[in-house]
Amino acid sequence: MPKITLDNDTFEFEGRPKLLQFCLESGVDLPHFCYHPSMSAPANCRQCLVEVGMPQINRETGQPNLDESGQPIIQYMPKLQTSCSMDVADGMVVKSHRSSELVKRAQKDNLEFLLINHPLDCPICDQAGHCPLQNQTYKHGPEGSRFEFRKVGKPKHIDLGPNVVLDGERCINCTRCIRFTREISKSNQLTIIERGVKNYPMTPPGVEFDEPYSMNVIDICPVGALTSKDARFRARIWEMSKTASISTVNAKGSNCYYWVKDNKIVQITPRTNMDVNEYWLADEDRLDYHKFNDNRPTGPSISGAQVSWEAAYKAASDCLSGVDGSRILFLGSATATVEDNYLLTKLAAKVGASTPMYLAHRKEGHGDNWLRTDDRTPNAQGCERLGMKVADVAALKARISNGEVDVLHVLEDDVVASGVCTAAELAGVKVVLHYYNTTNETLSAADVAIPAAMAVETVGTVVNEQGHAQRLRPAKAIADVNRTLSMEIGKCRADRHGTPFDKWYEEANLINCQPGWVSLPGIASGLGLELNYKGPRQIIEELSSSNDAFAGLSYEGMGELGVRLSEQGVTA
Amino acid sequence: MGDFIKHPVVDMPERMPAPAIEADKLVFTDDEKKQMKTWVSRYPTADGAIMRGLWLAQEKFGFLPPEVIQLVANEIGIPYANAYGVATFYTQYFKEKKGKHVLDICTCFSCQLCGGYDMLHYIEEKLGVHKGETTKDGLFTIQEAECLGACGSAPMLQITNGPFVHNLNKEKVDALLDALKEDKIPAFTSVTLPQDEDEMGGNRRSDVSSIESYSVRPVSETLS
Ligand code: SF4
Ligand code: FES
Ligand code: FES
Repeated sequence: MPKITLDNDTFEFEGRPKLLQFCLESGVDLPHFCYHPSMSAPANCRQCLVEVGMPQINRETGQPNLDESGQPIIQYMPKLQTSCSMDVADGMVVKSHRSSELVKRAQKDNLEFLLINHPLDCPICDQAGHCPLQNQTYKHGPEGSRFEFRKVGKPKHIDLGPNVVLDGERCINCTRCIRFTREISKSNQLTIIERGVKNYPMTPPGVEFDEPYSMNVIDICPVGALTSKDARFRARIWEMSKTASISTVNAKGSNCYYWVKDNKIVQITPRTNMDVNEYWLADEDRLDYHKFNDNRPTGPSISGAQVSWEAAYKAASDCLSGVDGSRILFLGSATATVEDNYLLTKLAAKVGASTPMYLAHRKEGHGDNWLRTDDRTPNAQGCERLGMKVADVAALKARISNGEVDVLHVLEDDVVASGVCTAAELAGVKVVLHYYNTTNETLSAADVAIPAAMAVETVGTVVNEQGHAQRLRPAKAIADVNRTLSMEIGKCRADRHGTPFDKWYEEANLINCQPGWVSLPGIASGLGLELNYKGPRQIIEELSSSNDAFAGLSYEGMGELGVRLSEQGVTA
Repeated sequence: MGDFIKHPVVDMPERMPAPAIEADKLVFTDDEKKQMKTWVSRYPTADGAIMRGLWLAQEKFGFLPPEVIQLVANEIGIPYANAYGVATFYTQYFKEKKGKHVLDICTCFSCQLCGGYDMLHYIEEKLGVHKGETTKDGLFTIQEAECLGACGSAPMLQITNGPFVHNLNKEKVDALLDALKEDKIPAFTSVTLPQDEDEMGGNRRSDVSSIESYSVRPVSETLS
């Protein structure tokens, strides 16, 4: 196999990887700005320079010339090379900053150039703390600047579009954002205008940067030139915890991080998963988070009156007991996890009702075969695999208005808003409602209202449109959950080092709700059905052996990136 | 650069400007379209033809407002943003309406030392407008240019992306402006080199008849 030497270590390689990518994958942390693995390499930032040599070949013999000690003589290229645009070749010898003073010097000087016109406004810049330019300057940069002139002033706080704000002065003209719109999203809405010290990215006149994926340029911008209109100035990066989880806005199941401050979701950013969303996340997945923070319930209630959890469970099981199963209607939810829906099917079976159905939430024509789907729920596939079917709204409507339903048990959905019936039509029906937000229109008709933990507060599994099963992890704590004891929740500095006096421990933003895998067993036990699972992990263990569609599924197997399910469970 | 050093601020182009060319005038003739097609076919990708396309449009419309750049991009079949980036990169593409004659006075290093600024200021005074501005009669626009590659005959200027005028001095400027007012544009002039003086009549270029001989460079007034 062909070999390459990086700072005296020899590595084997396959194919023709780019040198920078190969170094990064081999643990050599070469600084770089403009290179991005998914896009073309214009080699314009010059930060990834290395010394590159090849064995000197004897023209007559075709063999490498050897030195006295029998080692091939390495002929170095006269100038430093940009590793991002260089193909790895057999026998290549590369010196990075780890072994070459020249490379070290080049990195330092290059940073000095990049910083000449870069404002020193890190204290008010949203990128500070996760800024490649800041980090690399710490590691490789010069101590100070020798530039004694006025820095170039460029347009600042310009709304490129509805979601992205430009600070032209901070831009280092790496062109990542431009290449994103040219090569990835293909919207072609951005370009670099002007030249020399005057250039910066901009939309051409008459064009707004309003494509549905615009906010990805914020993540790939290696400086704070592009920031999120929504999230800027709201939290410093070190004040937030981040949790690796799944976006639930559509059926793509894009991998994301939920950023939490003061127990509220403040930002959502993409998480790389080459099998699902690669490096990207649609704007809709990032902006639809206020529902996690606002209009949340304050606790369980019976006919509008706040009660204890025990009382609510008791009331719910009372609703369900003593009624003929055929007159009980269970609705599952494509927004709830596989685990919670599974428990609901068990509860339905216990009282002799037919398998729960679920309501479809689709916006036809919205999907784009990329990261946005017609389906506005994350888990319709999971429901289908549990044997649940999409409810026919007209048929349900008829059943309710004909008085065929005595009890309606709704898991994390809103029948009134979905047009199944009006709240008035539910007057004669006992309604048990698990709900997320106080804006739920079915709430006024609910006899027992049980606040449910949302995707960012629970543990569970969702299956995307392609059958990719992935895990939700709790990003924010709910009442009764201790952030530091819950191993799943991402930790921030205050979690690790904070004291009870820190603002962090404010209880105000802890929502009094319960995940379905807690509340459904609570209701079931009043009916004599003991759903004694230690947690969702055990539910999936049971499902994987009892239901072919989930065969082989496990929390360990899903890990952070999920697994692809075929008709018959996990694919090899 | 000049003032930019003292006041280095980059302005932003208007983002939603009103169109400068009336919609019914905003078309290419069939011949022009055909010409662009030929250019496109000469390059591996259509992007290659953008510079010539913009040039053609500038000659036709006089300058390149956004709607013209978009028209060219559509004609060539490349994204508007790319075309706009190219158009703003080159100072030779005029993004706004200019005077009939655009005087690009070089004030880069060599010309500066030999009196580039003296010439610029002299022309500014004479025409009563500053660099970057157009005279009221719409005849002249004065611009400050970076090195135009004729340092050997500094100070110099270029007329509307066309012929160079070498070895500038005040008399030459006076004569030039008078000629331009009568629409007499000087011919392309080749500057001979001392070592060529004896050969070929001093003119190495067989395609140029107008020549000017090399002379010792003047020194900027501020230096002497
Ligand atoms: S705005 Fe950011 S991503 Fe775009 S060119 Fe500038 S530095 Fe690069
Ligand atoms: S990463 Fe290689 S030049 Fe920018
Ligand atoms: S400096 Fe004026 S032409 Fe070179």
